[in-house]
Amino acid sequence: MPSEVLRVDRVWKRFGELEALRDVTFSLRGGESVGYLGPNGAGKTTTLKLLAGLSRPTQGSVRVQGFDPVQDRTRALRRLGALVETPGVPSYLRGSDLLEYVARVKGVPAGERRSAVRRGAEAMNVAEHVGRPFGSLSTGLARRMLLAAALVGEPEVLLLDEPTLGLDPAARHDLRIVLRNLAREGLTLLLSTHLIEDVQEVCGRVLFLRNGVLVGDEPVNLESSAGAGGARRVVRVRFASDITVESLARAAGNEIDVTIDEPRTGTLRFAGGDVEQAAVLDRVVRAGLPLVSAAAPEPELARRYLERVGREDVP
Amino acid sequence: MASLIQNAQWEVTRLRRSRRIWLFLIPIVAGPTGSAIADLYLGVNSAGTAEVLGLLILAGLSSLVVLDLTALAVGEDLALRTHYLTFALPQSRGAALAGRLAVVVTGGLASYGMGAVGVAGLANALITTSSTAPAPILMPAHLALGIVGLLIFLGGVTAAAGIVTRSASQALVAGVLAGVVSAGIGSMLLVEGQLTPLFPGVLAAVGLMGFVWCLLQYGWIES
Repeated sequence: MPSEVLRVDRVWKRFGELEALRDVTFSLRGGESVGYLGPNGAGKTTTLKLLAGLSRPTQGSVRVQGFDPVQDRTRALRRLGALVETPGVPSYLRGSDLLEYVARVKGVPAGERRSAVRRGAEAMNVAEHVGRPFGSLSTGLARRMLLAAALVGEPEVLLLDEPTLGLDPAARHDLRIVLRNLAREGLTLLLSTHLIEDVQEVCGRVLFLRNGVLVGDEPVNLESSAGAGGARRVVRVRFASDITVESLARAAGNEIDVTIDEPRTGTLRFAGGDVEQAAVLDRVVRAGLPLVSAAAPEPELARRYLERVGREDVP
Repeated sequence: MASLIQNAQWEVTRLRRSRRIWLFLIPIVAGPTGSAIADLYLGVNSAGTAEVLGLLILAGLSSLVVLDLTALAVGEDLALRTHYLTFALPQSRGAALAGRLAVVVTGGLASYGMGAVGVAGLANALITTSSTAPAPILMPAHLALGIVGLLIFLGGVTAAAGIVTRSASQALVAGVLAGVVSAGIGSMLLVEGQLTPLFPGVLAAVGLMGFVWCLLQYGWIES
């Protein structure tokens, strides 16, 4: 696999007078999970359509695994799974019909097709529904079936456009887990979404798009990336009475970075995970500070979204 | 070639699941049966005329089958946006559509062919040609071949209309209109005694051009 799996190079896309994309350049390396955030009409779906070979750039070039997805469709799209917008499927077709067709076109050998279909369906938890016609599936189930189709053939690159749209909270949670696991296994993911939680939970890097212009390309979790020697935990703590930074720092321990945001609220930053967090909070309580709650801070990504993109269409 | 075969199989699956595959039986069963009933009811006194009458009935039925299935093969996915899924697959779009059209067009023509054999068989079995019967207005064998040209024309026009309108229903309407126009022109030429093999030949050529244009355009559709 080439180091750059997806490349969008100085791409412009015009629809008559409308400039949907303006000089957009970015690339994804193999195994990267990248969120693509922006308001309605920013050009996210247009970008994904270009990468999936559904559309051509007016200017600039697009490459998938080194190949032009329009000129060299077979090689560019062979190991790509894509779900762009919400495709309709004729109501009489069954889920298994669609998944088998995708497997066949993706070159899955006849003997392995059934298992490829089963794996895709199981990943999206729709295995028991593959025999049902699309017309009998709920919106969420049909969406999951389409996601299963995108996963058939074990793609190395996945392009997803608002994948959690229409899913209930449990299915949304399951999908995020599936995507996280796929990312861990080395899949390259470009996830276009309105939902910051999707990006926060799945992606390591985020692109911000506004009015067709790329306005940000940065790590999702700046706190984590700033930490040396492992993950950094940030915990917002609230107390029943006013506290001082000295008392909180003394209680939490020397290695803990402490700030006081409001008289009764502070933030603890430290290296580690759940075990370390439990130990820190235990020390705070044992020191006699009236701890009321401890939680993750407001999503920092949401703040950055507002900074880069503005208040329009805040997710 | 692989895309062609895979999509031909895909079309067969779609025909089966939607039960549209039964449409192929209409020309085979209803064509000969309907024309035989008409022959007997009208008291047709010539096997040749009975064949001509039967072929015209069969042409109407076969046209509707070819129109309907071609319109759906081209326009259904575009209208439903299923192409957002299929266009992102590693295959030539033109070859994919060609595979699907191959099934519906050859299926429609084969169905017509079997119906024509049935019409000829029943006409000759049920009707005894009277010595005073006038000669049929057209040679049955010529008409049978001419209808093939008509079916190809209607399929091509409908396929092209499916690309332009991105809708199966509107493509179907365009195909029906083309059928009405071609039938009108054919009738006029017949009345004026100028109906020659050139007419169905031109129809077939226009139809083939329609298919080629459709396949080329399909590859360039911007979603």
